[in-house]
Amino acid sequence: MRMINFAKRNFKELVRDPLSLIFEIALPLFLLFIFQQINIPGDTFKIENFTPGIIIFGFSFITLFTSTLVAKDRGSSLLIRLGTSPMKSRDYILGYILSLIPIIIIQDSLFFIVACLLGLNVSINIIFTILISILVSIIFIAFGILLGSLVSEKASGGVGSIIVQLVCFTSGMYFSKDLIGNVFAKICEFLPFESALNIIKGVLNNNYDIISLRNIIIFIAYTIIILILSIIVFKKKMVSDNK
Amino acid sequence: MDSIVTKKLIKKFKEKTAVNGIDLNIKQGELFALLGTNGAGKTTTIKMLSGLILPTSGEILIEGMDMKKDMFKIKEILNVSPQETAIAPNLTVKENLEFMAGVYQIKDKETKINELIKQFKLEDVLNKRAKTLSGGWQRKVSIAISLINNPKILFLDEPTLGLDVIARKELWEVLNSLKGKITIILITHYMEEAESLSDRIGIMVNGNIVDIGTAQELINKTKSKNFEDAFVSIATGGEL
Repeated sequence: MRMINFAKRNFKELVRDPLSLIFEIALPLFLLFIFQQINIPGDTFKIENFTPGIIIFGFSFITLFTSTLVAKDRGSSLLIRLGTSPMKSRDYILGYILSLIPIIIIQDSLFFIVACLLGLNVSINIIFTILISILVSIIFIAFGILLGSLVSEKASGGVGSIIVQLVCFTSGMYFSKDLIGNVFAKICEFLPFESALNIIKGVLNNNYDIISLRNIIIFIAYTIIILILSIIVFKKKMVSDNK
Repeated sequence: MDSIVTKKLIKKFKEKTAVNGIDLNIKQGELFALLGTNGAGKTTTIKMLSGLILPTSGEILIEGMDMKKDMFKIKEILNVSPQETAIAPNLTVKENLEFMAGVYQIKDKETKINELIKQFKLEDVLNKRAKTLSGGWQRKVSIAISLINNPKILFLDEPTLGLDVIARKELWEVLNSLKGKITIILITHYMEEAESLSDRIGIMVNGNIVDIGTAQELINKTKSKNFEDAFVSIATGGEL
């Protein structure tokens, strides 16, 4: 299968970049540990609420490094070579997505091991959360493919870090959106990151009441739209880059 | 049988015409060199012939198949070594070969990979990551990869650029050994390379093929002393 072959190559490219491992795994783990050492009032930083936030935060770096990989591939002649091969668009897109799934599983497993050491209850919900987070991660990977298709390798780091900031400020991982005001709260509601966090939080804590219908609709709509956009833009840029 | 046929092939980028209605007939097993000044349309022609970009108009037949209808079948039987080295930087040389063997779904990939390792003398760099190799080695690996699927047609865009004299001569040997077995389209700026390797040479100027022939035919036609003078005479319309 060409897509598996491409995914294997992408996986190797990603894990052999030490920076990607530091930001995707070490930094979120450090934050998870450090925020549990400070006694911050409120529910946001309780381990059962903050661990889902850390998962989403880790995913934002998946977006960043996916965009860098795609932009790097576009900038090199490798995609010219692959463009003349029998690979089809679905092989590229699924190849990029599949290559990130093992990294997501490694990320989640390490986050939960540390979270459990820090006091998170060990339960079957952790397995469910890892499974649901694989689905949630698709939107972050698709964002990465979309950004990487639009910008150069140099710009991908900067643009990717905007996503990291957006996730931090609009997901509710650090503070409730209601603390900032009505307009900001509305923006958060219409971006997918708060919905993504609520879904993961709800599954982990077996509290499905916090996952609203709006969360599900927003999340699914964004995932479908961003995925389709990433396929269209990637395909288009592959041709236009070669002019 | 002709390996490559183009009929009135045109490629326009907005207002600019990069390729202006070229007609080509390249025979099976022929080594055809495409020469021209920078911006003459050589690389654009190769990109169209290899299915990377679509022509604005005109027809391309590869081994009798229509590029518009049978693009994916055509892509199985050709390969390209682009102008810049096209390898995965964080993969080792062996992994690069394995990766591309996977792209083309090569059945007996170990045998083919070992054959290329031997042919391009890659033993010493096999387990080194591609990005750590010198430019010359990267190019050598890039060219080796382009033979992974036993292509019937091979496009080489300035393959010896950046290679030292010995590596260049080694590549010439490889190309000579392939002559007659596969069709090779070679873009080069080195006149001696075109002259010594090619069966025929096409000279492109401003998107048109202005002359085609063997090196000797072109020398005789322009009454030049050598092939370089013949090329300059044809490319400048006799002004230099």
